[in-house]
Amino acid sequence: MSQRSLSRLQLHNLHLAQARRTVLEHIEGDFKPGAITALIGANGAGKSTLIQAIMGELRPISGEVVCTVPKERRAWLPQQLALDLTFPMSVEELVMTGSWPSHGALSGYCAAHYRKGREIMARLGISHLAHRPLGELSGGQRQRALFGRTLMQEAELLLLDEPFANVDSETVDVLVRILRQMADDGATIIVVLHDMDHLRRLADEVLMLNGGHGRWVAPSALTHQHAPAQVVPFSLGGRHVGTA
Amino acid sequence: MWELLNTWLISPFDYGFMRRAVVGGLALSLAAPPLGVFLVLRGMSLIGDAMAHAILPGVALGFLLAGFSLPIMSIGGVLFGLMVALLAGAVSKMGGQREDAAMASFFIISLAAGVMLISIGGSSVDLTHVLFGSILAINSTALLLIAGISTLIVLTLAVVFRALVVECLDPLFLRGQSRRSGWVHSVFLGLLVLNLTAGFQTLGTLMAVGLMMLPATSARFWSKRLEGLIGIAIVLAMVASTGGLLLSFHLDIPSGPSIILLAGFGYLFSALFGRYHSLAAKLRRKTTPLEVEHGA
Repeated sequence: MSQRSLSRLQLHNLHLAQARRTVLEHIEGDFKPGAITALIGANGAGKSTLIQAIMGELRPISGEVVCTVPKERRAWLPQQLALDLTFPMSVEELVMTGSWPSHGALSGYCAAHYRKGREIMARLGISHLAHRPLGELSGGQRQRALFGRTLMQEAELLLLDEPFANVDSETVDVLVRILRQMADDGATIIVVLHDMDHLRRLADEVLMLNGGHGRWVAPSALTHQHAPAQVVPFSLGGRHVGTA
Repeated sequence: MWELLNTWLISPFDYGFMRRAVVGGLALSLAAPPLGVFLVLRGMSLIGDAMAHAILPGVALGFLLAGFSLPIMSIGGVLFGLMVALLAGAVSKMGGQREDAAMASFFIISLAAGVMLISIGGSSVDLTHVLFGSILAINSTALLLIAGISTLIVLTLAVVFRALVVECLDPLFLRGQSRRSGWVHSVFLGLLVLNLTAGFQTLGTLMAVGLMMLPATSARFWSKRLEGLIGIAIVLAMVASTGGLLLSFHLDIPSGPSIILLAGFGYLFSALFGRYHSLAAKLRRKTTPLEVEHGA
C-alpha cells in the first residue's frame, strides 16, 4: 500500500534515555506517507519514549529525528486516561479546537469551520452527540470525538497510543476505516497496538521494540507466527521487558 | 415595605465610600471568578492561595517605601508575585519537584517575609489592613486601579480564552499546536497575580482569593458547561460582594470577611442543594432508562 514517495519522518541511529537510563538504542526508521505503522512491544519497551521523541518532547542523546511535517500538522492522541474527562466541554467544541492550525487559536470560528466540523462528526457517526459534554460519553464515543479533532486538524503525521482500548467494536470499525482513508490521503500514521487482530486489519509495517532495540518486521510474518492468538500476551500492569 | 428596602439596600450607598466599595467589588466580581473557574478546572485550586501569599512581601515593600499608597503597593505586589511564580516554575523544572511543592515553599517564605516587613515599618493596624483589607480606604485612585485591572483581565481572558480551555483539557495538544503555548500558562499566572493585587484593597491579601475561588467552586454544583460555570460564578461573586458590603455596613462588621463568608454560605448552600453532585442531587438521583443512541 505504501507509496514510493519521499518519507516525511525518518529516524537515524536514535538513542533515547529517560532519567539518564537508556531506553532505546540504534533505532532506525523510515515512515512513508500513506503507510500505517504499528508500534508494538511490551510495557516498558519504550513505545511512549519513542513517541515523545518523534513529537519533539524528548531530546535524543544521539542520532536524530527528521520530520518534515510542520508541527501544527502533527497529531498525538494519548491514551484516553490522560485526559480530564469531567472537563465541561461539548463534543462539537472539542472537534472545533482542531481547526487552530488553519486560523489561529485567538480568532473565532467561521461558518465554513462549523460546516467542516459537522461533516466530520457525521463521518464519525457522532452528529447526535454534538452538544453532549465529554464527561457523559462512553469510551468509544469519546474516542470518535478525539478522532474528529484530528480530522479537523488535517493531520499529516498521526501518532496514536492504543486507540482501541476501552472502545466498542462498532467504533473500532469506524476508526479503522477513517485511519485507512487518512493514510490513503497521504498521512503518515503510527499506532501503538497490543491486539493482534487490530494489527492484522491495520498495519502496513510493524516496528517491534524489544530489549532496547527496534526491529522492522512484516505484519504477515508476525500474524502467521501468532496465528491463533488474539492478543499479544503482555500484561498491562507490569513493567517487565521482554528479554532485557 | 419600600421604606425598609430603601433603608437596607439603597440608602447605604448615599455614602461615597460605600459607592466606591460596591463599584470596586462588582469590578472584581467580573474578573476574579473566571480565573477561579480555570484554576478549579486545572486542579490548581490551592495555587490561588499560594499566589495571594506570594504578593505580600511586594505589597509590604511598597508600603515601606511609599506609605499607604495603593498604586505603589500594587506594583510591588505584582512584581513580587510574578517573581515567586517564575521562581517556583524554575525550581520545579530544575529539580524535578512538582510545581505545587515549590510554590508551597515559596508562599510560606513570602508570608513570613511580608508580615516581618510590615511589622518593622508599620503598626499592627497596618498589618491587619494589608492582610484583611478595608473598604473605607478605597479612594478614587484605588477605584480606577481596580477597575483598570479588572478590565484588563476580562479583555485578556477573552483573547486567550480558547487557548486556556485547551491547555486545561489537553496541554499536549496545545504544545503540539503552537510554539507559544508556554506563554498561555504565564499569561494566566500573570492575570492571577494582577487580580489578587487588585483585590487586596477591599478584601486583603489573604481574602482576595476567596472572591476568586468560592464562586467558582460553588458554580460546579450548578452547571456542567464552561460558559455556565463562568456566568454563575460571576453572578454569585456580585451577589456576595454587594450583599457582604451591606451586611458589613448594617451590622458594623469588617467588610472583607463578611463578603467572603457570604460567598462561603453560597458554597455550602450549593453543596447541599445544587443541581449536580450536591447532597440533594445525590438523594433524588434515579437510574435513567437505556438511551437510544443511534435513533433517527
